[in-house]
Amino acid sequence: MTLPLGDGARVSLTLLFEPLVEQITSLRSAMSDLCAPHVTDADELSRLLLAAHELLENIVKYSSGGMAEFHFALEPGERGLCARLRTKNRALPERLIDTRQRLDALAAAQDKLAHYDAMIRESAGRRDGSGLGLARILAESEMDLRYSIDRNTLTITAEITVSERAEP
Amino acid sequence: MSALALEPLLGDGFQAVATLDDTRLSVAFSGSGDMRAITLLADYLTQVHEEALRHAVSEVRCDFRKLVFMNSSCFKSFVVWIDTLKGAPDAYKIAFLTDPNLHWQRRSLEALRRLAMNIVSIATDAVD
Repeated sequence: MTLPLGDGARVSLTLLFEPLVEQITSLRSAMSDLCAPHVTDADELSRLLLAAHELLENIVKYSSGGMAEFHFALEPGERGLCARLRTKNRALPERLIDTRQRLDALAAAQDKLAHYDAMIRESAGRRDGSGLGLARILAESEMDLRYSIDRNTLTITAEITVSERAEP
Repeated sequence: MSALALEPLLGDGFQAVATLDDTRLSVAFSGSGDMRAITLLADYLTQVHEEALRHAVSEVRCDFRKLVFMNSSCFKSFVVWIDTLKGAPDAYKIAFLTDPNLHWQRRSLEALRRLAMNIVSIATDAVD
């Protein structure tokens, strides 16, 4: 865990770890504690935590070994606080292809909610997993999603602007 | 009426307990539905469906007021259940009871309701 380096960041947390499922709930809880003094709106905080949970589960499920990175930051922006979540992990080629296809389809969808509803209907017939985690971040958390792939390393970033609690 | 053949689901950080009255099967969920709960929940909802049919209830109430979180894979288990019920929409309805202070519930359950609006309903009631 590193201390904040960004100018004016309210929270900046970067964790390098070998992700385990039993760590996720406590990480989500720690994030809630870190955000609560700064994020005014309980719904916005809930959306952030949902996205964090889904991204953390993704790296637990799909990391192909070694250390993974989880980064979270709350930084002042023009219209409030910019909340940024980022995961970085090594993944198998088939996972990289699948993620690329999913995220490209999400980005291309004209009606995000209709696309999400269609994915939910399709998920009923899936044997492995739900395939809904990233779509949920877009549709329910209403966060912007982007990704990059560098050889066998996948980086996913989710961002949103949230309201900042006024100084007392 | 025969007894409910549905043992409590007691997972690691995730629980579900069912009760039966004349017309309703109620299931109180609590904890956090994460990766550790996926298989347990999927199997449990299959049993809930079978028991609801066996007892010919008109409604299954899912009380989420003490369910602090549910991941996408657990969410999918509800999708599968609702999808199963869409083949027999007159069998029974599913009613979700939510806590308005747990904001994720409204967003996630609205998505489930859109899946089958004639089957799924959502009510709100904060925990005492």
